Amino acid sequence: MAAFRIARRIVLGGSRLGVNAELPCVVADGGGHGRRALCAQSPGHPEAGNRKPQFMDEDVQCILTRITGLDLEKIFKPVQQQLRPPTYKLMTNEQLEEAHRKAVEVAQTRLKMPPVLSEREPINDILVEDKILDGLETAKYVFTDITFDIPHKERFIVVREPNGVLRKATWEERDRMVQVYFPRDVRRIIPPPIFKNENLVVVFAQDRYEDILDLCLIQFEPNSADYIRVHHQTYEDIDKNGKYDLLRSTRHFGGLVWYLVNRRRIDGLLIDMIQRDLLEDAISVLHLYHMLHPDCQSSKEANQQQAKGLDLIKIFSHTDSQKGGYIELALQVYLETLNSSANQDPCRNEETN
Amino acid sequence: MVHLSSNLHKYYHRGFVCIRLALGGCTNRPFYRIVAAHNKRARDGKYLEQLGSYDPMPNIFNEKLVSFNFERIKYWLACGAHMTKPVEKLLGLSGFFPLHPMTVTGAERFHKKTVLMAQMESKEEAVETTEDEQPRS
Repeated sequence: MAAFRIARRIVLGGSRLGVNAELPCVVADGGGHGRRALCAQSPGHPEAGNRKPQFMDEDVQCILTRITGLDLEKIFKPVQQQLRPPTYKLMTNEQLEEAHRKAVEVAQTRLKMPPVLSEREPINDILVEDKILDGLETAKYVFTDITFDIPHKERFIVVREPNGVLRKATWEERDRMVQVYFPRDVRRIIPPPIFKNENLVVVFAQDRYEDILDLCLIQFEPNSADYIRVHHQTYEDIDKNGKYDLLRSTRHFGGLVWYLVNRRRIDGLLIDMIQRDLLEDAISVLHLYHMLHPDCQSSKEANQQQAKGLDLIKIFSHTDSQKGGYIELALQVYLETLNSSANQDPCRNEETN
Repeated sequence: MVHLSSNLHKYYHRGFVCIRLALGGCTNRPFYRIVAAHNKRARDGKYLEQLGSYDPMPNIFNEKLVSFNFERIKYWLACGAHMTKPVEKLLGLSGFFPLHPMTVTGAERFHKKTVLMAQMESKEEAVETTEDEQPRS
């Protein structure tokens, strides 16, 4: 059985490793579960036992999908489209349940999280230097290979500069050329000015985080510098203003949580979750935190005491958080409302009786 | 209807396939398609296959965009297609072919001309300064 699981991890990890060129060897399930690595790692590596969990790990994705939630009303919010007269359908109860189930499936595909990748290395490759051609032309020549079958990453796109140098095109030039010759719907050739820093501020003031992140997804590649910059700025602004609920039940919530957990700034998120009575989500966030940072104080204490549920949150508020006081206050309020609602119901029953 | 044109064309005398630039676009705005066509066809007429494009007007990034379908170009070259000089020069600039000899010759001529012009200008300046000095003295 363990061999099966390890074999499955290798198959999944092989595809993942093509994207993250972090470690040259395949490792078994990461996180603080204590399973041994499959092969010896370089001696200079800090975590010799387990590999750092990546965004696409199954357990990480499981936690993130659970936290994201499934608010059908928000996912199937009316989108601006051509005006059509409304359609009415007469259904039996079973048909209604069937329709509901299908809607849930469609919603789950819509909630698939976009990948979180590290920034791509800039290309600085010179192929030929022909000093004779210096000064002959005033403009650059950009040569693109439009062979249909090759993937865009392997396409030859070279630039002949006016000084005679033949070099490989930079990532921005590559994206532009690919969009010129193999246009993708809605993507613009030149990124629209909304992605400039001063215009992003305006967008954030209007609370349109979801829209800007959708636009960013369409326009940029996931490992481009602009994509990462826009996403990070959006997450920072959400964290600063505490507007986590705007992204809940969208595909971007997982990325937001991953960003915050990696930077150890989950206090605002936890407070927001406790205030909205989402305690299981808060506990899942803490599980993720302990998976990613197994050597921090709160995870060590939690392991010692084998804490579960509310105790995890209490341990975290004592040890690692910056806003420990606020978290405890929010917990107190939550417990009081829980107790008062529990007290109210038997009182009402007595009155009616 | 029976189409006989391809049968009639097959063995036309002194004909071959050519990879050349077909002009399109509007007034004062040329645009070339790199095209494999029979030699005797009109410049912008029916072609066998489009293999790319060339835009001679630079865009806002000061780039002239050229595209080549290298796989199909290799096929037509293997079939024995000829190429016109502009296409050969472009392919030489792109690195697919070595630099065309006329490109190199043109570059050398250009450099000689610039050197000559510089010398002429310096001589003119020298003449002007001597003329300026003379009426004063």
